Amino acid sequence: MEFYFALATLFGFRILLGLSAYVVILTGQISMAQAGFYALGAYTAGAATALWGWPIVPAVLLGAIVGAVFGFLVGFPALRVRGLFLVIATLAFTEIVRMVFLNLKYTIRVGDRTIGPAAAEGFRGITYYFENGWSSLQIAGFTWLFVLAVLLAFWLMDRSRAGVVLRAVGEDELAASSVGINLTAAKVSAMTLGGLVAGLAGALYAHYATYLSQEEFGVLLASFAVAYPLIGGTGSVLGPIAGVLFFSLLIDGLRFLGDWRNLLFGVLIVAMMNVRPHGIIDVRLVRRLAALLRPAPKRAYAGD
Amino acid sequence: MTDLAIDVVQQLLNGFLFGSSYALIGIGFTMIFGVMDKLNLAFAVTGLAGAYTGLLLFHLTRGPFILVFLMAVAAAGLIGLVIELACFRWMPRDYPLAPLMATMGMLFFVDEVVSHATHGRPMAFPAPMGQVMMDVGPWLVRGDLGFMFLVSLAVMGALWALVYKTRLGLATRAVSQQPVAAQLCGIGLTRVNAAVFIITGMVGGVAGTLIGSAVGNLSPLLSLPLTVKGLVTAVLGGLGSIPGAIVAGLLLGIVEYEALYFFGIGYRDMVTYLLLFAFLVFRPGGLFGQRVGR
Amino acid sequence: MLAIERLSKQFGGVKAVQHVDLDVRQNEILGLIGPNGSGKSTIVNLVTGVFPPTEGRVRFKDGDITGWPPHRVLAAGVGRTFQSIRLFGGLTVWQNLWVAQNAQSEGGRGVLRRWLAVDRASMTKIEATLEFCRLLDKKDELASNLAFGDQRRLELARTLAAEPDLLLLDEPAAGMNAAEIEDLRERLLALKRRGKTIVLIEHHMELVMTVAERVAVLNFGQKIAEGRPAAVQDDERVREAYLGQRR
Repeated sequence: MEFYFALATLFGFRILLGLSAYVVILTGQISMAQAGFYALGAYTAGAATALWGWPIVPAVLLGAIVGAVFGFLVGFPALRVRGLFLVIATLAFTEIVRMVFLNLKYTIRVGDRTIGPAAAEGFRGITYYFENGWSSLQIAGFTWLFVLAVLLAFWLMDRSRAGVVLRAVGEDELAASSVGINLTAAKVSAMTLGGLVAGLAGALYAHYATYLSQEEFGVLLASFAVAYPLIGGTGSVLGPIAGVLFFSLLIDGLRFLGDWRNLLFGVLIVAMMNVRPHGIIDVRLVRRLAALLRPAPKRAYAGD
Repeated sequence: MTDLAIDVVQQLLNGFLFGSSYALIGIGFTMIFGVMDKLNLAFAVTGLAGAYTGLLLFHLTRGPFILVFLMAVAAAGLIGLVIELACFRWMPRDYPLAPLMATMGMLFFVDEVVSHATHGRPMAFPAPMGQVMMDVGPWLVRGDLGFMFLVSLAVMGALWALVYKTRLGLATRAVSQQPVAAQLCGIGLTRVNAAVFIITGMVGGVAGTLIGSAVGNLSPLLSLPLTVKGLVTAVLGGLGSIPGAIVAGLLLGIVEYEALYFFGIGYRDMVTYLLLFAFLVFRPGGLFGQRVGR
Repeated sequence: MLAIERLSKQFGGVKAVQHVDLDVRQNEILGLIGPNGSGKSTIVNLVTGVFPPTEGRVRFKDGDITGWPPHRVLAAGVGRTFQSIRLFGGLTVWQNLWVAQNAQSEGGRGVLRRWLAVDRASMTKIEATLEFCRLLDKKDELASNLAFGDQRRLELARTLAAEPDLLLLDEPAAGMNAAEIEDLRERLLALKRRGKTIVLIEHHMELVMTVAERVAVLNFGQKIAEGRPAAVQDDERVREAYLGQRR
């Protein structure tokens, strides 16, 4: 059982990370900054419980807020660049964050242990769950509380005008602005929201992992964050989940193949993109499902 | 002249010479982007895989360096073609994110093949000029870096001739400027795309070999940093611009070496990325970019 | 209502628009015609803030809107359509209008209602607009799945959903068949009856000549004639500009 709880918890982090990239992708942009927000949330929340003795809930919320603040701050300069230029600019942000944590030393001694970010040696001693005797079921439940809350919020947003406006910006910026959409507001909101969710994911991850090392928060993590929604599709919030399941089943489900698993991993991504270039759950599939599920004309427009 | 000035110039020289390899990788990214408006994330790893193939031949035959070199270039060209087939040819033309993801999968795949074949260990790479040092006044020119620069220069010259002096180059430029009109003029898009992937793959193979012999070994750990450096170079130079990629590559090399000298290894990348971020925000089209963002 | 004063735009060495003066009066349909490349679309783009003018002013309802970004120009009451259709292809017909609706007044009161909920009144309004543009039966289809004529109509509907007072229509009849053009003519006249002001950029002369009260003619970025349709048709310079072209 323990194994499945741990797996569920890991799924939770990945889904949150995928959702944080998803909301930015809706506006038509690929952001590699999500790994940076994730790292900032992780280190902040870790410091809050381990160094400042905060309880877990405010610590996690603080991590999310720090992610949101940086999302907002990155959102503004990033407005000036688009497409691949934004990919590189946000990649630079993630790497800068990583380098800061590579050099950051801020430790305290507790008894015979050193706790806190110790530059290249990593951040040890985020032991809130352990100290308070949480079981892996409790950890999984606590994580999924946040995952479900974010999923619900995003699902509602997708059905609201706010979500449709984000998609409109992603479809055609010029058309969106000429029907009255403030592009700056839309894009910075998406980045802030993405930062919030990534920061939250990082904050939860820090307490699960108990040890943080800046190497984890690099290009690879940033790539996975955007890969979840791109493979899973951006037609609905279910897309990033499908993406996480696709990757996680590949990573954990092909274990019996041993080393060969990693070879197949890349091949399957290539094959998948050839079969469903817009992702597993794309807009067209969502429309077709919606048409099937809601044949009554009166309700046909009620939500979206 | 003070020691500081001598050191600064020495780093400038090293960075300039080493930057030529970044320029080559940047050219690969930028050329593919110029023709297809799409990114090939697996490009840097193509070059690396080519170099590994050369190395394999070296271990089998103990042949001369030139053989390793040719093998690497040929293999990388072939891998380039495979990538075009697997990740571009049957993808929707107006959706660049699909090949982006597919090439990311390709990057993982090639990387894993290499890791698998080498058990993840770095492997020594023949360095024909490794022992050579040249004095220029108070400065040293490392033989391998000088060799790297000269070969890169030759490749750039060959590319220039190819793009501006041949029919294929003309077709390539036509496709990159007006794909529809080019097709109407009877230029086969598929053939041009395939040719560009083979050629850029070969350029990547040269870069991989040069980096292998300058660093002294090859490791799968190189693939991600090289991909990032190549992307940075291509974007900095203004995507689609070959001269831009050359200037940006050399500049990136210099900035890295100077940052290493002044701030140490821990801060080198941070300084580089800070400059990059600032540069992109203040000059969003890159050094030579006319087209702002896509 | 809209006053364009000595508007100019240069792209590199190309003078796309040169010192154009143009007055659009309340509740009129003004035809803006001219050969290809004469600067008609550029004027629309300058007025709606797609790019800033090199010189000149744009006034709307006594306010100066020169160089405002597109979303503020729309909020002031100027809506537009595009010569090459620009729909939100991944959104449904109804969603295309929903995006435009309420966009006029960002911020302020009722933010939550405007962004997060759909109320009966706005739903009814969107349906009425769709009905007006004969798209109601297609409201749940993806915009990219529509036939060409429907796409043109949807673009008009989307602009109408934002409830602008002035409409800048960039070749709304392009690619339409005779029946569709007849339908468009009716829509335009109906919009005028509802109090809208329209600038109609069009190559289809018959349409322009029958709905527009006044016509302005551009050639090589300059205004060469302005007046009643019949008078403009007889103008020597206009004939010259169109020499070799139909009419």
